[in-house]
Amino acid sequence: MAIETSNECMSVAQAQALLQQGVDCRGVGDHPPRFQTGDKVRAKVIHPITYTRLPRYVRGKIGTVTKVHGVYVFPDTVGQRLETKPQYVYSVRFAAQELWGPEAAAQDGLYLDLFDDHLDAT
Amino acid sequence: MNGPHDMGGMHGMGPIPIEPDEPVFHTEWEAKVFAMSFATFCHFFPVDETRHASERMPPGDYLSSAYYERWLYALELLITEHNLVTPAEIEQRMAELAQGE
Repeated sequence: MAIETSNECMSVAQAQALLQQGVDCRGVGDHPPRFQTGDKVRAKVIHPITYTRLPRYVRGKIGTVTKVHGVYVFPDTVGQRLETKPQYVYSVRFAAQELWGPEAAAQDGLYLDLFDDHLDAT
Repeated sequence: MNGPHDMGGMHGMGPIPIEPDEPVFHTEWEAKVFAMSFATFCHFFPVDETRHASERMPPGDYLSSAYYERWLYALELLITEHNLVTPAEIEQRMAELAQGE
């Protein structure tokens, strides 16, 4: 699906409302999420020369799904003006020691919102 | 893209400067860049495209640029890639501004 861009300019009032209140960008999924809260997931090891929102320091690391956010368009493809590829987004907790090794504090964790295409089941 | 923006875990960059009363914009041109960027990415570009554009800034330039300089780089890259403005037109306008026109 190609990206449709609006031919209508945003009014000043619309821009103010957008900036002050934000906007809900959630889409609707026609299938259940692949992962549930509590599931272990592994971030994919990928190095696309184009665009990705998957940070280098989590690639290959195992985390735990803490929340299913819903369905959103996929920035990795939308950012290149390719398909919108709507998919589930999850909050994934990575233990600090999983990311940074034994020198990191044992109780610390880092939460990242990651897309289905960034994750593999473990 | 494994670009200079993806700095998580990188060492040696020094502390992040924190201003106690940080203004929204430090100068008038920053506000203009913000306004022009919003005007174009609501109208012509998905917002993720602007982030992808700023990440394509040469790494040395990216790391030595201020926040809104990166926005300006992305804006100029996208308006020329989408044939809204030519690089020559940007150069011409810069020359005019340099002469105080």
